[in-house]
Amino acid sequence: MKSVEARLAQLALKGDQRAFSEIVDMYQDKLYHMAYRMLYNRQEAEDVVQDTFLRVYNNLERYDDTMKFSTWIYRIATNLCIDRLRKRKPVYSLDAESNDHEGLDGYAMIPSDDRTPESELLLSDTQRIIHQAIDTLPAKYKSVMVLRYLQELSLQEIGEVLDMPVTTVKTRVHRGREFLRKKLEHKL
Amino acid sequence: MAAMNCNIALVWMHDYLDDELPHDDVLQLKTHLLACPACRERFEQLERTEALTHKLMDARIVAGADQSLQLKKRIMSGLPLKRRKAGWTRWIRKHPAVTVAAVFTLVMFSSFLAMWQQDTDLTVRGTDLAQLVIEGDTVTVPEGALVKGDLTIENGKANVLGDVDGNVTVIEGSLYQASTAHISGKVKTIDQALDWFWYKVTHSISSLAY
Repeated sequence: MKSVEARLAQLALKGDQRAFSEIVDMYQDKLYHMAYRMLYNRQEAEDVVQDTFLRVYNNLERYDDTMKFSTWIYRIATNLCIDRLRKRKPVYSLDAESNDHEGLDGYAMIPSDDRTPESELLLSDTQRIIHQAIDTLPAKYKSVMVLRYLQELSLQEIGEVLDMPVTTVKTRVHRGREFLRKKLEHKL
Repeated sequence: MAAMNCNIALVWMHDYLDDELPHDDVLQLKTHLLACPACRERFEQLERTEALTHKLMDARIVAGADQSLQLKKRIMSGLPLKRRKAGWTRWIRKHPAVTVAAVFTLVMFSSFLAMWQQDTDLTVRGTDLAQLVIEGDTVTVPEGALVKGDLTIENGKANVLGDVDGNVTVIEGSLYQASTAHISGKVKTIDQALDWFWYKVTHSISSLAY
């Protein structure tokens, strides 16, 4: 049986804008939340969400309904977020692991730019510390962690979204978790 | 049970937090944690990190209803007015191999067709052409002559009065055969593009074979 999304996608493909607007309703908030957690910036998160839906709309005929619709749309959105995160950072040899910080690579050494919107100032100290810790996560770990903790996807599903082997996802979750632990160790 | 290595314990802690540690190993890990204060502390830190991360990520403080509505308007109005017509391009994407084969056939066929139409010169091929008489576009095998081997005439008239010890093939032309003539092999007249195509293909294959 076809999923609701697959049927809506088919209708939208035939030119039914209302069907597409249903898809937007189903995923808009989830995508926004995810993009926000990755980018920590309202404007950028909104741009990513809009871009994602535009891509989905223009590529509806490419949607392969053997794949879960959510996997497809998350893949598009995460890739857009990762692109943006990468563009923010100057290009160093980021993937080289440094010796004095086991498990962490160059991404971690770059201080994050403070893109926290005003609303986040209302957070408690604890929350802000975690917030900052997550914000400094290297892009490749951040996407894994956001999918893991926010969307509560299984390692297998994250692998499908990011198009990488489960073993890689596992390693990144472990490293990401250790990264956060280290950041929080002396603060909490 | 042998004492567990702390490095292995760390990997297992992560597996445990990922819900991926088999039950038996969970028991073994717990035994180790009870015996090793350093690992116990590490595990507690990880669990706390896990819980806090989860809690923060889950806090839906970011998108207000109003903002969400605005964004939806922006998304819907930002869509292109007319969808690119999917139709055949979609089919092509789904069947790349068939498409490549079709394009190939089309290109091959049209080039053969072009060759077939371009070639208007009289061509005579055979192993024994000495006795042939060529006048204008007419190739004559005179009465009493014996041509040994096959004879192929393209874009011309064949006028066979004598004997041919082999096949006679006429492409894009006509064949006159006198009642006195004797052709030992097959007589073939080709004037259709498809026949011609087939002739070219079988010929180039058989010439490769020899």
